[in-house]
Amino acid sequence: MKLRMPFPLLTVVVFLAIGCAKAPEEIYAPADYSGWARTTAVVLNYPIPGHENRMRIPRMNAKGFTALPKRSDGKVSWDFPEDTVIVKEVFASAKPAPGEKPIQLTIMAKDPTDKRAQAGWLWITKDLPDGKETVFTGNFCVTCHANANEQHPYGDGNPNEDFRDFVYFVPGEGARSLLK
Amino acid sequence: MSVVQDERRCTSLVPIVNGPYNQMMSEKGKRFRSLTFTVNLVLVLALAAGVGLVMASFTLSLLSSRDLLTRSNLLQQGNIIYASIANFMLPGNAPLAVKFVGQISLSSPESTISLYRRDGVPAFSDNTTIDRVNSNLKQMKFISRPILVPQPARLATPRFKEATGNPPLEVFFREDQGGRTFFRAYRPLINLPKCSVCHGADHTVRGVIDIRSDVTAIIRTQNLTIAGGAGGFLIVVGLLAFFLGSFLRAIVLSPIRAIGSLCAKVTSGSFEGRIELRSRNEIGDLARTVNQMVGGLRERFELTKYVSRGTIGALTEGQKPIRVQRTMLFTDVRGFTAYTENHDPERVVEALNRLLEKQSEIIHEWGGDIDKFVGDEVVSVFAGEDAATRACNAARDIVRLCAMRPMDFDGLAVGVGMASGSIIQGMIGSDLRADFTVIGDSVNIASRLCSIAKAGQAIVSDGTKMAAGGDFSFKGPFGAKLKGKAAPQRVWILEVKV
Repeated sequence: MKLRMPFPLLTVVVFLAIGCAKAPEEIYAPADYSGWARTTAVVLNYPIPGHENRMRIPRMNAKGFTALPKRSDGKVSWDFPEDTVIVKEVFASAKPAPGEKPIQLTIMAKDPTDKRAQAGWLWITKDLPDGKETVFTGNFCVTCHANANEQHPYGDGNPNEDFRDFVYFVPGEGARSLLK
Repeated sequence: MSVVQDERRCTSLVPIVNGPYNQMMSEKGKRFRSLTFTVNLVLVLALAAGVGLVMASFTLSLLSSRDLLTRSNLLQQGNIIYASIANFMLPGNAPLAVKFVGQISLSSPESTISLYRRDGVPAFSDNTTIDRVNSNLKQMKFISRPILVPQPARLATPRFKEATGNPPLEVFFREDQGGRTFFRAYRPLINLPKCSVCHGADHTVRGVIDIRSDVTAIIRTQNLTIAGGAGGFLIVVGLLAFFLGSFLRAIVLSPIRAIGSLCAKVTSGSFEGRIELRSRNEIGDLARTVNQMVGGLRERFELTKYVSRGTIGALTEGQKPIRVQRTMLFTDVRGFTAYTENHDPERVVEALNRLLEKQSEIIHEWGGDIDKFVGDEVVSVFAGEDAATRACNAARDIVRLCAMRPMDFDGLAVGVGMASGSIIQGMIGSDLRADFTVIGDSVNIASRLCSIAKAGQAIVSDGTKMAAGGDFSFKGPFGAKLKGKAAPQRVWILEVKV
């Protein structure tokens, strides 16, 4: 028996299938992220809230390194361009063995248009080795990183309370060129 | 609307559920299901589904809104308290934070706000934090206080652990306790980098703000609202079903029942009735059509009185002439011409009709068919294997009736002639006027025998006598010289005991 599906019904089914199809998820930390430059030469092996006693290595894509701070009213203000991605490798301990792989990546992706963005950034975790990226919808990450815009105990400590766009270690070269 | 002569009887049609119309419909093999029941069922289900969905949606929306609103409210409170505590903490005024939280709890009896350390112990219930801060700062910045609660209760529920995990999460949940309902939110206090100077950087969560709001009264009010809505929903469904059902019953179902009742009457042979329906719609048109149809059937039924059964049968089975075996029975009133000359026409017709009526009844009773009346003569036909027997029975009863009750027929009596044999049955006449009748030798012989029979005498042919069997007594044989027959016919006289 030949089954015939009426054309309008077929159209509805096709549109529903298209509409309900899961959109491909964007990958923020590509496979070659480890080739990105580090944002700081400071060895981040001291304990901090959030990552506690674990070694961290932050890397940023080339887009992020194009950011240049602006100075106005005696304050420096950073605004990383859209599509900036900062990947922070988190290791299992404060002293990982040579060649040891990180256990987790925490990612900041600048995308103010995304409705999940907080303070203009998407806050993402990528558990390894399964590689599944999850956009964090709680406010834990942004709450902690808000301290980057105030005086804080890391790196140079941000003594002037510059607005560093929620990034603790801004590219030193860019900053130095402006401060000259 | 109504059917026929008794409007009330026909509109109160509940009994018709088991009536002939329904029985007729049930014979199709499917169980009869009242249209009223079906329509009402569909209405109630449709209304229940439609209004029910709205009600369910309303209820879910109400509950969802309540939860969202409360959650948002509690978490907002948490954020405010968080910001306040953070600002108290930074200049080292932690005890002020505790006092602040206590005052908020007092000002709002429905809500309680508590602070816990990340290990689940109530904040500032001992000197652990003070000692830790002094140790981190390497100075006695804060003075230890007397321990107010020696062994405070520790909060260690799975939800609390969720709030103090890494990453810490805001937790919102419902809690039923002592017949009261609470919404509760755990807002983690993050050990921010700026906090870590005093509290150390080896942990992520400082503690948890626990906000508990008593929503018993709100839930009770909402339950009442939902119950009221559900009750209203049931009432609305009931009323709508009742009114729509009544409307449909009046507009559709009752007329259909009336039409069905009339059709059932027609099926059972009664053509007396019509549907009184004035509505100008499809059902009204149907009722008028049925009335016309029943009227036409009534006319045709009346017309059947004036034709023989054979004629009716020929109309349905075909009008082709056929040769068949039959027994013919003729009766004729003796001395009728003289009778008509000596009596009034009314009396003549009245007496003759009475006599013909009784003869017809007897002939029909014995399975004969009146072919025609020719003046005072009756021409009847008997078919079947025992046709002669039944014809003799009919002749006997006719003769006996006239003999026993002569005054019923004003003294009139009949002579009877019968003959059996092959005859031709067919439509005889012209295109304008025809009769479905019989012709043949046996017809002629029966007619001739009738004409020679005296009053109260039944003469039968030899063939009829032989076919009638031994249940009858016959005199004879006699030789009868009949018109059209060269040789005398052998005939018998049926003996009738009066």
